[in-house]
Amino acid sequence: MLVSSRASQPLSGARHWWRTLRVAYWLGWQIESNWTDPFLFFVYSIARPLGSVLILVFMYYVVARAAAAAMLGFFVVGTACWPFVVQGMMGTAWSLISDREHWKTLRYIYTSPIPFRAYLIGRALAQLTTAVSAAAVTLVVGRWVLGAPLRVATIHFTYSLVAFALGIASVLALGLMVVSAAFLISGEAWRMPEGVGAALYLLCGAVFPVSVLPPILRTLAQGVPLTWWLEAMRRGLLPPGGVASFPQLTDGQVLGWLAVLAAVWMVLAWTVFTLAERRARNRGVLDRESAF
Amino acid sequence: MSDIPKATGFTRVLRASRGRSYPRIIGLLRERSWVFYDTVLPLLGTIAFVYVYKALGAPDRFVGYVIMGGAAMGFWMNVMWSMAAQFYWDKQGGNLELYLVSPCGLVPILLGMSVGGFANTLMRTVAIVLVGSVLFHVTYVIHQLPVFIAVFAVGIIALYGLGVTFASLFLLWGREAWHMANLLMEPVFLGTGFYFPVRALGFWVALGTSIIPLTLALDALRQLLFPETHPALLPVRIELAILGGLAVLFVFTARFSLRKMEFLARREGRLSLRF
Repeated sequence: MLVSSRASQPLSGARHWWRTLRVAYWLGWQIESNWTDPFLFFVYSIARPLGSVLILVFMYYVVARAAAAAMLGFFVVGTACWPFVVQGMMGTAWSLISDREHWKTLRYIYTSPIPFRAYLIGRALAQLTTAVSAAAVTLVVGRWVLGAPLRVATIHFTYSLVAFALGIASVLALGLMVVSAAFLISGEAWRMPEGVGAALYLLCGAVFPVSVLPPILRTLAQGVPLTWWLEAMRRGLLPPGGVASFPQLTDGQVLGWLAVLAAVWMVLAWTVFTLAERRARNRGVLDRESAF
Repeated sequence: MSDIPKATGFTRVLRASRGRSYPRIIGLLRERSWVFYDTVLPLLGTIAFVYVYKALGAPDRFVGYVIMGGAAMGFWMNVMWSMAAQFYWDKQGGNLELYLVSPCGLVPILLGMSVGGFANTLMRTVAIVLVGSVLFHVTYVIHQLPVFIAVFAVGIIALYGLGVTFASLFLLWGREAWHMANLLMEPVFLGTGFYFPVRALGFWVALGTSIIPLTLALDALRQLLFPETHPALLPVRIELAILGGLAVLFVFTARFSLRKMEFLARREGRLSLRF
């Protein structure tokens, strides 16, 4: 009786958010990982990014066997960071879509007394956790097997950690933007996050410096925080003087642009999410199923 | 009495296959968003890899390699998502039960899926090659056109045979099917040499990955398109013969595997297992 009355007491805003985030994280982790045993899940988590980096490595060796290793480091860091985008941005959208279309639980989650944004961010963080092993293994293989110049002595840890935190915030912001679009579309919702991911892969210099893009795409790339995040991560993890997307800027300027753009995109994502949620409710399409 | 004329034997197979291929072919024109996603998505990935070669300062023929890889990707994705994992989607939608209680069985259904999927993908692949070639000013000269067509045709039969084999394996699975299809993307792009000559993997490794028909098909097609510069894995005629062997092998394996897995899935009650 005592337990029941305590449980029914309303929580304060921050505690409510935290509890929802934690439970959503746990739920997301279960959905992502409990379909198989831990070993197979680990293999599954690392196979795709390792495959990606090895494709680039073979492309590199086919063209430039004796060239400097600068491009190799560029590939390794970009490929190690990219799973965070795939899982954090695309995974968040797929969480919403699968709740709506596959598990058919969206209406129950949405109508439950929880902050829906906290739920989505919790699910996104669970997705992001699945990218950690992929990133770590890619960096280790890149350093010890492929010989990329990732040395503890030259890694700028504070810079890298700040850049990483800002990058994750940017990924979450992009995730909320894509979720906002997924609210309003149904038939193409499964493909849309993949489309956004493919466009960002091309635009953000994940596997090549944005300086090789045509001017119009280069300008677009500069407006996306992920471009600056990948550049900052490379500057933090690789020794100075390597291949860079923005060679004319200092490390501090790159981090500054990343911070500004991350903040702008977070505010933008919050606003767009609010508007999209309202519009979806007004149109009655919040839980509209179409795939099955 | 039903007005629908009875069909038996081969006629039934043909009718069921035609029925199953119909939505895939008609969907090509009717679902505009799918046309966009199925053409633009592989194209975006392809363009990204073209820029990788540009950043590396590679010769122009590598751009042609990448565009061919992008085209092959369309077929591989179709085989994995619309053949291998299709029964998983059908379980979700409740169609699998309908297929199983229909008098035609699963083989004509899979045959129809293959034909429809191939027609659908071919159109998009042509679009990818055209757009990619125009964007990056790539021209192709096909040497020995009949051999080129033979390699393509035999490679496609072997590939869709592999797709049916996977479909039967995936019949047993629930969520694992989705994850396994997802897993067989980049590692396969690597093993089959989508974006570089497969010989770069080393002769024996490349020979090992030739169990996936795209490896030999891509290598043979590249030899016919870039005869002087492409580092061949094996001579084209030997690759064609191996592809023929793979096509026969996968068609028979698919038939055997389908029967076995359907039996197992029925026995273990997994045919209607959705999650």
